Amino acid sequence: MALIDVVNLSKAFGPKVVLSDVNLSVEEGESLVVLGGSGTGKTVLLRNIMGLLTPDSGHVAIEGKIISQLSREELFQVRQSIGMCFQMAALFDSMTVFENVAFGLRRHQKMTEGQIQARVEECLGLVGMKGTDALKPSELSGGMKRRVGFARAIALKPKILLFDEPTTGLDPVMTDVIGRVILDLKHELGVTTITITHDLKSAFIIADRIALLFRGECIACQPPAEFRENPHPVVQQFLRGDADGPFLQDPPPPKRKEAHA
Amino acid sequence: MVLTFFDKAGAGVLRAMDTTGDFAVLAGRTFAAIFKRPFDGKNLFRQFQAVGVNSLPVVILTSLAVSMVFAVQLAFGFKQFQAEGLASQVEGLAVMRELAPVITGLMLSGRVGSAMAAELGTMQVTEQIDALECLATDPIHYLFVPRLLAAMVMLPILTAVSVYVGYWGGYLILVGVEGQSAYVFGNEFYKLLAFRDLRIALYKAFVFGMIIALVGCWKGYRTQGGAEGVGNAPTSSVVTSSLWILIADFFLTKLLLV
Repeated sequence: MALIDVVNLSKAFGPKVVLSDVNLSVEEGESLVVLGGSGTGKTVLLRNIMGLLTPDSGHVAIEGKIISQLSREELFQVRQSIGMCFQMAALFDSMTVFENVAFGLRRHQKMTEGQIQARVEECLGLVGMKGTDALKPSELSGGMKRRVGFARAIALKPKILLFDEPTTGLDPVMTDVIGRVILDLKHELGVTTITITHDLKSAFIIADRIALLFRGECIACQPPAEFRENPHPVVQQFLRGDADGPFLQDPPPPKRKEAHA
Repeated sequence: MVLTFFDKAGAGVLRAMDTTGDFAVLAGRTFAAIFKRPFDGKNLFRQFQAVGVNSLPVVILTSLAVSMVFAVQLAFGFKQFQAEGLASQVEGLAVMRELAPVITGLMLSGRVGSAMAAELGTMQVTEQIDALECLATDPIHYLFVPRLLAAMVMLPILTAVSVYVGYWGGYLILVGVEGQSAYVFGNEFYKLLAFRDLRIALYKAFVFGMIIALVGCWKGYRTQGGAEGVGNAPTSSVVTSSLWILIADFFLTKLLLV
């Protein structure tokens, strides 16, 4: 049994079908990267895994427990074993960095203040953010916020880490830093990860397997080397980063030379 | 055309029922979550401060202003019938039974309810409420319950303060300006009142506190659509809770005065 099973998952918002019969399974310790264009349902997939959305049909199972069938208490129990890193970090802006990272520990663990202090420092150290305890989220840059978000997510020692577009909107150097942090977390904590990203460079470094979502369907899910060789025109267009091809629903604007002609 | 009218009317009724049901479910979940663990004393204390202590100046000032202007009107009105002595009695009745709880409720809905809606609305659109869920924390328990408890406890206390300030507002005008006897004012103010009236005022404040916190939190929690949504949430919260305070005031008065 895989640690995370996504079975025939479909989700629509009104008439717009976002996910259609998506099947994925992630083994323990594995790192899956989900690629896809904007609006192809990547974030919706993660939100279904976390139980923040309820599927229209199909289901998500974590260690065999079907998320949408759990009671609130059981769901919270499962969520303690999952760390979610949000696209814009979603740090609690009324709290300091320390309070953010300590939040889960204070609510769910019977730890002394000294133990909490030590654990928070350990987590901040793992993401390279030591010494920022007293700062407020508004005093941090985008990359720093994401790393504090990672520290908050790993504080409860989860088995699974979910990253929602962790590098979007960051400069190339910070993108590389975030990629390395994710890789470090994966190796040092031995967690199972699902990462959603547009950044191909870090995707190929992080991934054990890469999946591509296209118009709500998962059209490929294979190891990086095989994914690179996948002959599917959408995969190849995505890898090339070319506007021409079947990837876009509406035709792209013509290239400048053709426009002049 | 007739069909379109019925379509629209039907959609409106469904929407209203949907909204009412949503509020009722969230309110029910909030009351059910009051006794759940863990108990977050620090968070509760912060809300007591935000709802109660920080609202003191605005409650004192508005109570003083309203009771003074009411005393001016009463003095003027009763002078027409050479019945100035009744002004202090009616002032006492009005302050205790209506002005103190309603003015405190309306001011708090503007000061506290709107702040709750804006805070939770911002948390909603910046995914902080989703982050709470992901950290295995029920947002209803963590966000709604302390605000509800603080409002239910603090509104009656602030109403009591408002009655006290209202007494001195009336005193300033009727004794200070109109030249009535301080001793007579002191006796007459409470003449038409019984202990039951204070109890009714505090019951009302308790219900108003519930309305303010639940509507404020609900409007914030259901915020959608970025900056515009966050902007609309407090406005909508103040309008809705003020309306319900006035409606509840009518029914409570009718029920409790029998």
